[in-house]
Amino acid sequence: MNARIRAVFEDAGVRGWLHAVALDEPDLTVEVDADGIVPLASVYKLPLLAGFCRLVDLGELDPRQQLTLDPSTKTGGPTGLSTFADPVTASLRDLALSMMTLSDNASADALLDIVRLPRLAELLKSFGLQRTWVRRGTAGNLRDLQRRTRTNDPDAALAVLADNDQTDPAGVYEAVNASASSARDMTLLLRRLWAGELLSPEQTEFAKATMHRQVFMHRLASGFPHDGVRVAGKTGTFGALRHEVGVVTLPGGTAYAIAVFTLAARGDVRQPRVDAAIGEAARVAVDLLR
Amino acid sequence: MLTERHLQIFIALAEEQHFGDAARVVGITQPPLSQGLRRLEALVGAKLFERGAGRVELTPAGAALLPYARRALTSIEELHQAAVARDPEGPEIRLGLAPEVPPSAGAAVAAASGAVIPGSRVTVVTASTSSLINQVNTGRLTLAAVLHPVVLDGLEAGPVSLLPTWALAPAGFVDDEVVGLRQLKGLPVAIRPRTEAPAARDLFVDTLALHRPTGGTVVVTDERAGLAMTAAGQAIVVTADPALTAPGVTRHRLADDPLPLRLRLVWSRTRTPFLRPNDVIAQLTEALGAS
Repeated sequence: MNARIRAVFEDAGVRGWLHAVALDEPDLTVEVDADGIVPLASVYKLPLLAGFCRLVDLGELDPRQQLTLDPSTKTGGPTGLSTFADPVTASLRDLALSMMTLSDNASADALLDIVRLPRLAELLKSFGLQRTWVRRGTAGNLRDLQRRTRTNDPDAALAVLADNDQTDPAGVYEAVNASASSARDMTLLLRRLWAGELLSPEQTEFAKATMHRQVFMHRLASGFPHDGVRVAGKTGTFGALRHEVGVVTLPGGTAYAIAVFTLAARGDVRQPRVDAAIGEAARVAVDLLR
Repeated sequence: MLTERHLQIFIALAEEQHFGDAARVVGITQPPLSQGLRRLEALVGAKLFERGAGRVELTPAGAALLPYARRALTSIEELHQAAVARDPEGPEIRLGLAPEVPPSAGAAVAAASGAVIPGSRVTVVTASTSSLINQVNTGRLTLAAVLHPVVLDGLEAGPVSLLPTWALAPAGFVDDEVVGLRQLKGLPVAIRPRTEAPAARDLFVDTLALHRPTGGTVVVTDERAGLAMTAAGQAIVVTADPALTAPGVTRHRLADDPLPLRLRLVWSRTRTPFLRPNDVIAQLTEALGAS
């Protein structure tokens, strides 16, 4: 049944992992290596969002609390507050919004510092996620990559991964030391989130609305070129890793949680065939479940 | 009981100074590595490493015992080698070559493979990159030289070898000995089917399109067909084979070598007959690139 999805991955030149499940019928699934543990890249921002919202529910964090990000200490990156030249002050919930919609590294690491890794680990366990580990944020990821590539700045380190003429340094795509999860665990998180089992109605709504405001449409959403289909998602990109996890809602309301992880053979920064293959694999999975 | 594996763990940790990296070198995961180290430390009655944040360093006791461990492991490996050499049949090394590998390079790798294990028998097959990956995965091949980039599916892979390529064009098509891809316009470049190695083929075609906006490609079954089409004035062949030639065809170096042939040796970590696969692959990679 999943041979078609494997063929999509093979054609795109990627190793792929996928889990798709109907929200209303959890026994209906489509799986390709769904229990493989894969480094999450920026998909870790989804469990972080869930943890943040839970702490808001518990009254431990005030979503309106103002935080100032200083250019000299914040994490760099291609989007959002990461790119700003001057100090920025925003509320925690706006940082969460920027983290989720733009995959803003500076906002994400600032939130992770506030939520804290050990607390987040406890929360993820309480959510029933047995195979999800948030071990470090983006800054930690880039530091590890610089160590492995023996480079002094993140851009030079990423350039090593993008070069098709040399071998990837050992361990850069290994899940052991990185934030990692399985496709099955990510759809479990989405399914429980969408069902309102993890958070209060207000925070559930905030998390869903935030994911529906995802600006990147080149992956999951590209498989559903119809405005009647709603796609809420979170992407992840690091070197040859390209992921997206999300919820696809058909006209009429039937919804599916989908996690697609890929590791491309090519190193190039821009790989539109792989982005499209993520959408294509998701669409095939949904069609199989319909 | 002290085992070969304990020695491997000791030496790998001393060299890599990192649990994850050492586990990869030994070919196991981190938990059995940590467990093996604890058992070894209990056996020798000394703490061998200081475990710090992200770093692992030899203790004075570890540094003192390391040379003995190295000598012991070398002796065990020599024992294995001697045992293999006494086997009249000898182990079989089944080598796979992608069709893009130049004949001389394939021959050099095969010769070097046989030299690694004295008394071994080398058999060679040619198949597409995707088929070779599958055959190494299922144990039908010992190792293979495949196109890079390729989806490895958990296989081990050596460094990337870059082989320079030449353009073969119909006589009279271009005059210069060294040409830019842009000069080779008006004729399609012969390429093999995309499904044989989608990522490598896409990289080739994307690079070609970047340097040469027109001309396109034509799919051929093999280099023989491509060469024939070139002789007939219908195509251009890009090849890493320094000897491929035919009447009516001229050979041109490509300026800045924009389309190198990227090759990698792949093998299965769990099925390799080589005691030190990384060392062997380094030798074979040299053979691949030096021919």
